[in-house]
Amino acid sequence: MYGWLWRRLPGPALARAGALALIILAAAAALWFFVFPWASVHLPIDTSGFSG
Amino acid sequence: MNGWAVRQAIRAAGEILLTVGVIGLLFVGYLIWGTGLREAAAQRALASELNQQWRRAPARGDAIDASPEQFDVPTGQPFAFIRIPAFGKQWRFTLIQGTALAQLDLSPGHVPGTQWPGQLGNFAVAGHRVTAGNPFWSLPSMKDGDLVYIETRLNDYTYRVIGKKWVAPTDLGVLDPVPGHPRQRPTRRLITLITCDPAWTGTRRVIVTGVLVAAKPR
Repeated sequence: MYGWLWRRLPGPALARAGALALIILAAAAALWFFVFPWASVHLPIDTSGFSG
Repeated sequence: MNGWAVRQAIRAAGEILLTVGVIGLLFVGYLIWGTGLREAAAQRALASELNQQWRRAPARGDAIDASPEQFDVPTGQPFAFIRIPAFGKQWRFTLIQGTALAQLDLSPGHVPGTQWPGQLGNFAVAGHRVTAGNPFWSLPSMKDGDLVYIETRLNDYTYRVIGKKWVAPTDLGVLDPVPGHPRQRPTRRLITLITCDPAWTGTRRVIVTGVLVAAKPR
C-alpha cells in the first residue's frame, strides 16, 4: 500500500517523503476534525445524556 | 500462486493492520484530549457569555430570601455555574440548557422538562463522565453531606447531597419532581446529578441526589 504510493509519487526521494508526510497529515486531520467527532457521537461510549 | 504474490499479500495485510492500529490510537487520543480541548474552549466562551449577560442586566434581588427567578433558556445557552468543592477548589463548569450529546460535549446540562434551580421539585443535571473534560468523573465518589453550589444571575443556591444510587439508563423515574413517584406533588427542592458508570460504558447511571439547604441573593 505505502510502497505503491511511494512508487506513484513523482520526484526525488526527498520530495516524495515530503508529499507522503503531507498526505498522512491531511488524512490525520480529516480523521481528527470530521470522522472522530462523528464517530464519538455514534459509539456507545457514554450514556450520561438525555436527548429531548 | 507464486512466492512473490504471497509476499505482496502478506505485506499489504500487515500495512493495513498497522494503519488501523495507528488510527485506533489516534481515536483514543482524540477522545482523551481532542474532546477536552473543544470543551475547554466552549467553557471559556460560555462563562464569558454568562458574565456579560449578568453584567448587562444587573437586576439585584432585594428580598431577604432568594429572589424569584424565571428561566427561559434556549437549548445550548448557559444559565448558571455549578461548583462542587468535593471535586476540587478549581472545579467549576457552566450549565447549559439541554442534555443531548451536542450539548454535553460542551458543558454539563439541565435536563429539559425538569425543574430549575431553587424550584420545588427536581433540578436534574447531566454531564459526561469521560470525554469533554471529564466533568463528572468523580460523581460516583460523592458522599452524603457534600455541597453543590449553583450560581444563577440572581441567586446562590446550596444543595447538600443526601443520597446516591445506580440505575439502568432506561430508568427515567429519577427525573420525576418526586423521584420515582411520577404522580406525587413535590414538597422538597432537590437536585439530581447524573452521569454514567462504569466510565466508557453505557451500562448504568450514577444518580446523586441533593436537597436545597440555602438560597440567597448574590
